[in-house]
Amino acid sequence: MSLLGLVWQWFMDPQHWQGSNGVPTRLVEHLHLSVESVLIGAVIALPIGIALGHYGKFGTVAINISNTGRAIPSFGLLVLAFQVFGLGDGPIILALTALAIPPMVTNSYVALREVDPDIKDAARGMGYRELAQVLRVELPLAVPLIMAGVRTSALQVVATATLAAFVAGGGLGRYIVDGYATQVYQEMVAGAILVAGLALATELVLAVLQRALVPRGLRLLKAPTTRRAAVFKVA
Amino acid sequence: MNRRPLWMMAALAVAAIVAAACGGTPSSSATSTPSKGTLTVAGFNFPESSILAYLYGKSLEHDGYKINYKVNLGTREVVAPALESGQIDLYAGYAATDLEYYDKKAGEATGDVTLTVQRLNNHLQSMGLVALNASAAVDQNAFAMTKANSQKYNATKLSDLAPIGNQLVLGAGPECPTRPYCEPGLKSTYGITFKDFKALDTDGPLTRAAFASNTIQVGLVFSSDGDLTKLGLVVLQDDKHLEAADNVVPILRQQAATDEVRAVLNKVDSNLTTTDLITMNSQVSIQHQDPDAVAVAYLQQHAYFA
Repeated sequence: MSLLGLVWQWFMDPQHWQGSNGVPTRLVEHLHLSVESVLIGAVIALPIGIALGHYGKFGTVAINISNTGRAIPSFGLLVLAFQVFGLGDGPIILALTALAIPPMVTNSYVALREVDPDIKDAARGMGYRELAQVLRVELPLAVPLIMAGVRTSALQVVATATLAAFVAGGGLGRYIVDGYATQVYQEMVAGAILVAGLALATELVLAVLQRALVPRGLRLLKAPTTRRAAVFKVA
Repeated sequence: MNRRPLWMMAALAVAAIVAAACGGTPSSSATSTPSKGTLTVAGFNFPESSILAYLYGKSLEHDGYKINYKVNLGTREVVAPALESGQIDLYAGYAATDLEYYDKKAGEATGDVTLTVQRLNNHLQSMGLVALNASAAVDQNAFAMTKANSQKYNATKLSDLAPIGNQLVLGAGPECPTRPYCEPGLKSTYGITFKDFKALDTDGPLTRAAFASNTIQVGLVFSSDGDLTKLGLVVLQDDKHLEAADNVVPILRQQAATDEVRAVLNKVDSNLTTTDLITMNSQVSIQHQDPDAVAVAYLQQHAYFA
């Protein structure tokens, strides 16, 4: 039977959808690792990027440091973290967080820098204090670029969380590592398909989230003139 | 070669004098008996095999043979053909694995070492080769527990695990659930059903970390690993012989297997134990001593040179 046929059979086997090695369990493990890493990464990266972008200082330094971070191979970091902290989710999340941070720092810095200085002036002129100006004027305008960074990070993390299986972690990578070890190649392919599917789903969910976060005015700016006019008339 | 600085030569000379003065070892090549011939001893590309090659080689040297060493020669796929073609005369094999090599994986190896060596010799005979007596020392798949858990569960052999398997997590390479020597074998031979299986690596750092964090209570190791003692792991006795008998056994060309050579090698193998192997492996892999020095020290300690 062709490999694809075997893969199809693998997916159809109810055995693979239950128990501690079933797809639902592995999916939850994979999501847990990914979500936690991206959230921790966001908590660290976004404030730094936003603050630096707002003040426009030390930007080059921060961007360079965070870009150097991109050059760290995740697998190397993972193995290193395992050596230091031993078995468990900790080292995996550490390595994935390190992967998640750079795109979010860079994008949020650039996003805040790109806010039109005239708008900032206007906000100041209308009596916004610094924090309010950041939160209510600059951030909403910066959402599309910031979210682009978050999406890049999330996608990389979801794809890379596969590596967890190399240090005895869970997640969808288990199928790839175990399938390889036992030479059950349909299991490997099934694992790869699941990871790819999850990455696409992540992208989709975050795209929807981004849409919800972008202020209506900003969305309208990009809409065709006729629709813009129509909306403004109603409003 | 001639451009080596003078100080280096001097240092080497001093080192040699110091070594000679401190060692007190009767240098094997300096034995007074005239050479009885030259033998080439080979080893596989891992430290234990080098140790065994030196154990055989040094005891033969003491007996008056001149020995060429080809340690780290390669895998069995390299070493065995070299023996067949006469490029080497002898290597330290492992009964079951060598049988499976020479019988082209027909699955003849069993947990019975005598039977395994007998079957091995059936294959070797027509090739002009012979396997001598197997040693009690084994390097094979084994299941270990930490000392603490072994005491807690009162388990010293695998059959002790049958009633308590449902409290224990087994850790091994991801292939374990499909291999007869691993989880399926433990179930069919010993009736052990584990609480869970954790996919780690085969006798590597993941297994060691999982033991340390008590993530697993039973794990697959190799019986002669040098770090078992250091890690506080005890190997559970394979009392129903699930694992194929990978006892150390010298395999040599029949031409080289004179009565005298046989006597020397049989003497080494009759005394060698798995514990000895563990000790020597740890001296090489953990204390970074040279395999030949470790082998000589062992032979001295056991009065081979007396």
